[in-house]
Amino acid sequence: MFIGEDLDRVDVLEKVTGAARYAQDFKTEEMLFACVVRSERPYARIVSIDLSAAMAVPGVVRILSHREIPGEKVYGAIIRDQPFLAAGIVRCVGEAILLVVGQNEKAARLAAAKVRIAYEDLPSVSGIETAGKGEVLVYASGSLMMRKRVRKGDVEKGFAESDVVVSHVFRTTYVDHAYMETEAGFGWMDEAGRIVIKSSTQNIHYKRTEVARMLAVPEEKVRVLQATTGGGFGGKLDVTVEGFLGLAVYHTGRPVMMRYTREESFLSQTKRHPMRIDYTMGAKKDGSLTAVKVDILGDTGPYASYGGAVCLRVAVHATGPYDVPNVWVDSSFYYTNGPVAGAMRGFGVPQIAVANESMIDEIALSLGIDPLDIRLKNAMKQGSATSTGQVLSASVGFMETLRLVEPFWRERKKSKKGQGFGLGCMYYGVGNTGVANPSGMLLELGEGGRIILHSGVCEIGQGSDTALLQILLETLGMARSEVVLDRGDTDTSRNAGSSSASRQTYVSGMALYDAALKLREALELEGYYRGRSLSDIYRARKGEAPLFFEGYFNPPVSGLDEATGQGVPYATYAFATHMTEVEVEEATGACRVKKVHAAHDVGRGINPRGIKGQICGGVAMGIGLALMEEFVPGKTESFDTYYIPTSMDMPEVVTMVVEDPEPTGPFGAKGLGEPALIPQAASIVNALRDATGACVYDLPCHVERLKGLLEARKKG
Amino acid sequence: MLHLFSYVSARSKEEVLSLLASLPEAALIAGGTDMVVRMRRGETHSHLIDVAGVPEIAGIEAQDGRLRIGAGATHARIAADAAVRKVCVALAIACSQVGSPQIRHMGTLGGNLANASPAADSLAPLLVHNAEATLESAGAVRRETTIEALITAPYKTTLGENELISSISMDALEGYEEGYRRVAKRAAWAISRLSCAWAIREEDGVIADARIAVGSCTPVPFRPHQAEDFLKGRRREASVVAQAVGIVLDEIRRLAGMRPSFVYKLPTVRDLLTSALGGLSCS
Repeated sequence: MFIGEDLDRVDVLEKVTGAARYAQDFKTEEMLFACVVRSERPYARIVSIDLSAAMAVPGVVRILSHREIPGEKVYGAIIRDQPFLAAGIVRCVGEAILLVVGQNEKAARLAAAKVRIAYEDLPSVSGIETAGKGEVLVYASGSLMMRKRVRKGDVEKGFAESDVVVSHVFRTTYVDHAYMETEAGFGWMDEAGRIVIKSSTQNIHYKRTEVARMLAVPEEKVRVLQATTGGGFGGKLDVTVEGFLGLAVYHTGRPVMMRYTREESFLSQTKRHPMRIDYTMGAKKDGSLTAVKVDILGDTGPYASYGGAVCLRVAVHATGPYDVPNVWVDSSFYYTNGPVAGAMRGFGVPQIAVANESMIDEIALSLGIDPLDIRLKNAMKQGSATSTGQVLSASVGFMETLRLVEPFWRERKKSKKGQGFGLGCMYYGVGNTGVANPSGMLLELGEGGRIILHSGVCEIGQGSDTALLQILLETLGMARSEVVLDRGDTDTSRNAGSSSASRQTYVSGMALYDAALKLREALELEGYYRGRSLSDIYRARKGEAPLFFEGYFNPPVSGLDEATGQGVPYATYAFATHMTEVEVEEATGACRVKKVHAAHDVGRGINPRGIKGQICGGVAMGIGLALMEEFVPGKTESFDTYYIPTSMDMPEVVTMVVEDPEPTGPFGAKGLGEPALIPQAASIVNALRDATGACVYDLPCHVERLKGLLEARKKG
Repeated sequence: MLHLFSYVSARSKEEVLSLLASLPEAALIAGGTDMVVRMRRGETHSHLIDVAGVPEIAGIEAQDGRLRIGAGATHARIAADAAVRKVCVALAIACSQVGSPQIRHMGTLGGNLANASPAADSLAPLLVHNAEATLESAGAVRRETTIEALITAPYKTTLGENELISSISMDALEGYEEGYRRVAKRAAWAISRLSCAWAIREEDGVIADARIAVGSCTPVPFRPHQAEDFLKGRRREASVVAQAVGIVLDEIRRLAGMRPSFVYKLPTVRDLLTSALGGLSCS
């Protein structure tokens, strides 16, 4: 029995002993080192580049520009618009211009620092509101990257029938993923002349596609491996070092290492999208919601990255886990010359949840209804229709998460000044929005009679290796020692899609379950379940076709109607409720999060300890989002000025699990990675209001902002 | 990346002073918690003399109503020291809140002074305790200087090229109500946005002595002496405290002008000092 058991993480020993080899641990004397020369200007034409001083640095091997790219010069997961190396124009600070390859890191970095670039500045676009006006443009074709709409019912009628309507504008800012391991990787040419890249990544097959396109070679000429990866959170979904490594190996034929410094990571990598959310919500006297109208503006920077995914997902999730009969959502994402914003844990839903949950509380407050009661009244349940008209037929455990938190909520007591309690809830569609996002998994009876799992699922710390093994072992009824994991190699695995959108346990878990059922049937015939050992089976089958099975799963979804957003964007949804206790010191504006009760409907808990770990991590990240994390372009350089929570900021976290099984998931499982974070910032904002009366509409609500709100309240 | 430099780990004060006198452009390093960061950003030194292991400058001793702390004493050591916790409470609290455990075990009081950051946690408590630094150089040359005279501007000191801060002496205060508060953007491992230290002694219901220091608001941490004088001889009543705090805020504005950060800092100093001077616990 493996499902629901605390199987030790596959990677636990090597990580805690330090034996795990991250990309940069593979560095050898023979390896060249590559680093990137980056733009210092937000928007400029490159007038000239002087390489003389850089080339004079001893140990410089090559300096490569966009001209040396043999194939496609741009990349992008959704819209291909981002240059690997800028071609005459830079559109944000930190944009890559040149790749410097040296005999070692010192030579490469020194030479990179000696490159002289003359720019001619262009009028740049900073901030969403400027971009929305369209007076200055990043592209002649316009600054709008994408607009998505959701229309359900008639909002004007809904508001007309409301007894109370509240409306506010919320603003969020750039947030960095701040993974422990910065972007890193290395590449070499194998004996067959193929380019091989091993990097810190969330998706090996996508990286292979981009590198092959860039080098104008067939995909089979490129092999991508995942090195042990120290966190991703969406930041390692985009091409980071892989393209540069491919180019450097292509031109030098030699092994090349890259690793970003923390400063470079802050400067160049994608950020969480800043948003301006204009939110209006109406309700009847009894608390039932009548209508929601949301106008969202998002700042995606000069390149699309995962902006399209965020733009759509935030529109679809704008009403939260509630039954709302009339919905009008516009989500417009604009190009600016700010940092490139991309995927970050939750794809915009943590931001919209803050607005949505805050509005629910304000409605409750103005009607004199308890915040929990108004949620219970409007909670989605089986048979509810989402804002996109999708009728939820199974695995809707939201009400149960509210019920689990209920006793703690009802018994809450304020015993001192500054203490406050808040609720935050969420629902989250598991997997990519309204598009196919399949996974393939391979199982083989290998030499010596061990089952080999060939997995293309990137383990980024979230625990997918362990969860997948548990699904496999449970299905096959086998011992851990009978199974070997071969993970993260495009040569041996099928495309499992990205480790993102909380999808791997659900999607790849189901693909693996599919493969495991086929293998189980074969093993049944071979007598495994009647006591014959795997090694006997393997030996007896010598000369026959090997036992090899492929599993596949693609969540059943449908595309959304362009005009109304109606359709089935996800096959299943996760639900959660967080209750957070804070303590605010009015003198300083400091808010301490004291305790969190977190209840999550995970469908089926595969590994309880993994669930607890994900939730605690999500709580930490939510504290950062609500109270401290703020990347200021041109100012934030490192952890010196970018504050993320430390263990000293962590509250006590009580985790509770609801298991409302998802019929299409492996053993009923859904996803948890992002849900763990999403309601946390919202619950803090609501707790702040409860503690102080201050309404927080701008994040992060750091000490200075909170003190300002408290001062303003004092003055009336 | 670090530039090349020579490195000597000194074993005695004598050795430090003679190396300082003989090596051109030598710099002292103790815990290195600020210096190594600056060097990674490009600051260069030809020679580094490590004073962290010099026993003569690491001790803590009480003498004649004063407490003398070796410049090489780490924040962790100071925070845990029984004498400091008894007669220099504000400093013990401040040292216990510097950075992270790692930084507190490496960073030293002398280094905190030499670095002269306006946000240094030790400075406000040292001012409250009328601290003086002992500076030594080769040939048995020795001078004493107040903190006010030592630190003249952010990151600027009057420390001579060949001088070592060997120790810091300060008033050992008994019968005082003392405290230190810092405000930062998170619970730990963060630079102080502002800080306040205070020590108050009452006799027969009136304030006999009041010492206040405010850090991170003005170019260098300072003592608002006017407010202190105002408090002396008065009772700790709300109106008295409010007037004294008003004087402190005026003094901050006089020293620093009006800064954007004061929208936050002035009300916070006001509220922290109001509760500290009013006798309400906020530390």
